[in-house]
Amino acid sequence: MNNKETTYTRRMKVADLLASDGNLLSILQRLGIKLGFGEATVADICNRYGISTELFLMICNIYSFHDYRPQTANLVSSDIKSITAYLRASHRYYVETCFPAIHNGIHNLVKELDEVSRKLIDKFYDDYDSEITNHFRYEEDTVFPYIDSLLADSCDGRGKYSIHQFEENHSNISEKLNDLKNIIAKYLGEEYSSPLRYSLLADIYTIESDLSKHSLIENRLLIPLVEKLENRHE
Amino acid sequence: MNKENRYRIVLIEPSEIVAAGIASIIERHPDFVIEQTLANPDYLRTNSNYDIIIINPAVIDYNDRLDIRSYFTGTDAAIVALTNSSYEESVLRQYDECIGIYDNAPRIVQKLRNAMEQNAQNPKNELNELSSRERDILAAVAKGKTNKEIADEFNISIYTVISHRRNISQKLGINSIPGLTVYAIMNKLVDMSDFG
Repeated sequence: MNNKETTYTRRMKVADLLASDGNLLSILQRLGIKLGFGEATVADICNRYGISTELFLMICNIYSFHDYRPQTANLVSSDIKSITAYLRASHRYYVETCFPAIHNGIHNLVKELDEVSRKLIDKFYDDYDSEITNHFRYEEDTVFPYIDSLLADSCDGRGKYSIHQFEENHSNISEKLNDLKNIIAKYLGEEYSSPLRYSLLADIYTIESDLSKHSLIENRLLIPLVEKLENRHE
Repeated sequence: MNKENRYRIVLIEPSEIVAAGIASIIERHPDFVIEQTLANPDYLRTNSNYDIIIINPAVIDYNDRLDIRSYFTGTDAAIVALTNSSYEESVLRQYDECIGIYDNAPRIVQKLRNAMEQNAQNPKNELNELSSRERDILAAVAKGKTNKEIADEFNISIYTVISHRRNISQKLGINSIPGLTVYAIMNKLVDMSDFG
């Protein structure tokens, strides 16, 4: 979908953006945009916070319209830095806000379970938690510094690594989250608290959909831009 | 019949002309609605609840034609052949009905009704219940056995093991091995003591 009328524009007020899709609230949050923005437009806010307006709009479109396909043609290599900054901020948001909520929900739920199920689900979630934390750490410690070195035109990173390895490593991290959802919704018996499970499931659905947008930004924006950069260096 | 109660049909026919023709005949009838038209079965959404699958047997690989039910394991819809040439009787016998391209509109509608009736009498495989073979294989997966080990143990090919595992995951909605292990233990297919 690239129909301009149905996607967001730089002249839109930030307040109208939020009014049309409340899910964008968390984007503003992770970009560190302070509330109290009054009648500021998207372009105003982006200028004030030093964010690429083009990129900001793409991210909002990705979150709001599931059939939106971002094009990298209008992005330049300096936008890469903004993308990795956004992805880092996003990781922080997951680790500091989303996962603690899920962990808390799991913790309250397993208190009711028999010992076997409690151990199982605790372990399942802990394994998932360390898997995704490692994944984020890998991106921040290996992938992003490599991209920085490409941008700085330094020789350090070149040859040692390529973004293709990242693509290969980019395994499907949402699989276990989906399994957890089904175990909680379908396979824990009716005797265990439904209100707890409903609110836990709602949290899982939210982060699952957010993570899929996060991957889309990596796969459709970051990787193609870095590939272009790699080709330029060769 | 109101809109929600109409029988939902998926039509799988490679010829656009034939597909459009049969769709227009069926859609004139208030009881039926064509939900989806496909040129081949690969894109069939198996989790959707269709009432009738109308399929040209030619789109199915020759080797699979004799076992049409296991080809469509994810559904309990009536399965109707749409033929423009002749097939062996053993192929057509598996279908709930068989529509020929020279059938007229009332005949087609009658055959769709026959198919629904016939299908209601077919033994239903419990859609999301695991078969006993699947439960055994799931237990082996939960114990951490590899596909090769499972194939040897059950005396089946690795491809069959993979196919069982795909069906298990599809039925349960659980894909990861740790997830399957949680399910297997909670449902007492394996015992905690298997894990030391």
